[in-house]
Amino acid sequence: MSGKYQTLDVNEEAQPLEFKSFLGQPDAAVEPAPAATSSRRGYTTDRPVSTSFWQVEHYQKWFDVDTNTVLMRCLMSMYPIDSHLTGPEGPDLYGPFWTLTTLILALFVSSSLASSIASYLSSEPTDYNWTLLSVAVGLIYIYGLAVPTGIWAVLQWSGVQECSVVECLSIWGYGMTVWIPTALLCIIPVPLLRWGLTLLAALISLAFIIRNIYPILATAESKSVRLFVIVFIVLHLGVALSLKIVFFSYYVAKPIG
Amino acid sequence: MAAPNSATLESNQFIVADEEYDEDSIPGYTLPQPSPNGAGPTTPGTAGAGKGKGRAPEQLAPPSNVNELSGRIGTPSGSGSRSPNTNKSQTIAGVRLETRYTGVDSLDEPVTTTLARDLLSIYSKVVQVLWPRRKGQAREVLRDWDLWGPFIFCLSLAIMLSINAPPTQSLGVFTGVVVIVSVGSVIITFNAKLLGGRVSFFQSLCALGYCIFPLVVAALVGTFVHILLVRLPVTLVALAWSVWASVNFLDGTHIETQRILLAVYPQCLFYFVLAWMILIQ
Repeated sequence: MSGKYQTLDVNEEAQPLEFKSFLGQPDAAVEPAPAATSSRRGYTTDRPVSTSFWQVEHYQKWFDVDTNTVLMRCLMSMYPIDSHLTGPEGPDLYGPFWTLTTLILALFVSSSLASSIASYLSSEPTDYNWTLLSVAVGLIYIYGLAVPTGIWAVLQWSGVQECSVVECLSIWGYGMTVWIPTALLCIIPVPLLRWGLTLLAALISLAFIIRNIYPILATAESKSVRLFVIVFIVLHLGVALSLKIVFFSYYVAKPIG
Repeated sequence: MAAPNSATLESNQFIVADEEYDEDSIPGYTLPQPSPNGAGPTTPGTAGAGKGKGRAPEQLAPPSNVNELSGRIGTPSGSGSRSPNTNKSQTIAGVRLETRYTGVDSLDEPVTTTLARDLLSIYSKVVQVLWPRRKGQAREVLRDWDLWGPFIFCLSLAIMLSINAPPTQSLGVFTGVVVIVSVGSVIITFNAKLLGGRVSFFQSLCALGYCIFPLVVAALVGTFVHILLVRLPVTLVALAWSVWASVNFLDGTHIETQRILLAVYPQCLFYFVLAWMILIQ
């Protein structure tokens, strides 16, 4: 008898006890939610879930990369056999921006060094043309930032849905990586070498861009969208030629030796 | 003497404040002690020794209010019974106020003192940047940031570089240096923020600006010495010093170690551009 009463008592007591456990449950229910919606790597877990676009936190998800990831992507862009943006981490914006900025600096250093070497070898003093720096800033940022944004807009307009603006920026930004060593190697004042290096760099970066943008273009329903590739090729070769003419063309006034 | 009704008491409060300010400068004056049931009978006895009796009802304002008003307005600190502590918190109309005596009365000091204090603050920040002490209060120097130092260093660097540039391009060089320093430090700060660092925006601008100082010295050397064998090592040392000093400030930003290089790299780039401009001037 008393044993049965006791079990009933326990059952009745269990309900107030369960009320206590509800206090713990919201924590357990909320806990996985930020982890799921926050960054892929789980570093910036204290970020608000929904952010408006003028907050810095809104853009943190595109800067959520490690040093190794960025270096690996830069290296892979010079060896464009495989599409590198298909990794689990998705495109980032750190790499493109600082690749372009480094390229500007490399162009500045190489052209100024080449001009001083040329003036030293031809033994006539020349001053560095400072406007080349602003030309480099304009050319590189327009081709690396404004053009991909424009291309993204055009692609959206022509019905390619699977294309994000970050992806476009990432493709064009990382694609310019190969120009950094090229710019530094073009200090060597040998015209044939410079032309060869420029051609090589143009082909490598073009191959990288086409390799990454073509699968996106192929998702469109109409086949004619793929003809955009021709526009990209022409645009890229034009930029390569202008880089060669503007920055890699300091020659010695008289032949060496 | 008798306590008036509350309506007249309310209307008299402003007068009380003015009068009280006058009497505050009398050395022997003691403020009325706060008492809940009307301090009216006691205050005229102490304060109104040389004054007219007509003001006696005015003293009937709530004593706590009198205390606060005179405490905030009256600058002479030697007035007897007031507590000498520098931080005082008061509750006025339900709002809690806290006044601090900063030790400096900058209203009626000579201009030279003000300038000297600002220069001293810039100097102490430069010393902190050039030789960062990791512990103690010295590290807190940059907490009260200013942009005067960065502005001065940026301008002097730009002027020195534009003097050495060919006359047709000096304007472009000046503009270039100013733009690189200002936009560059803003971009670097945002970069550190985007990488997940906890950075105060203006504090970071201040630190990055003060870290230019070694390069300013290098530019000064380069202005007078045109031998490349002297300028090259000086500029390299200045560059290394600038980068080292600015990297020191990344300590407190809590950026993960896997990506700390991503935050350091733009700083290297920033100072390298400036060093390169100094080198090829």
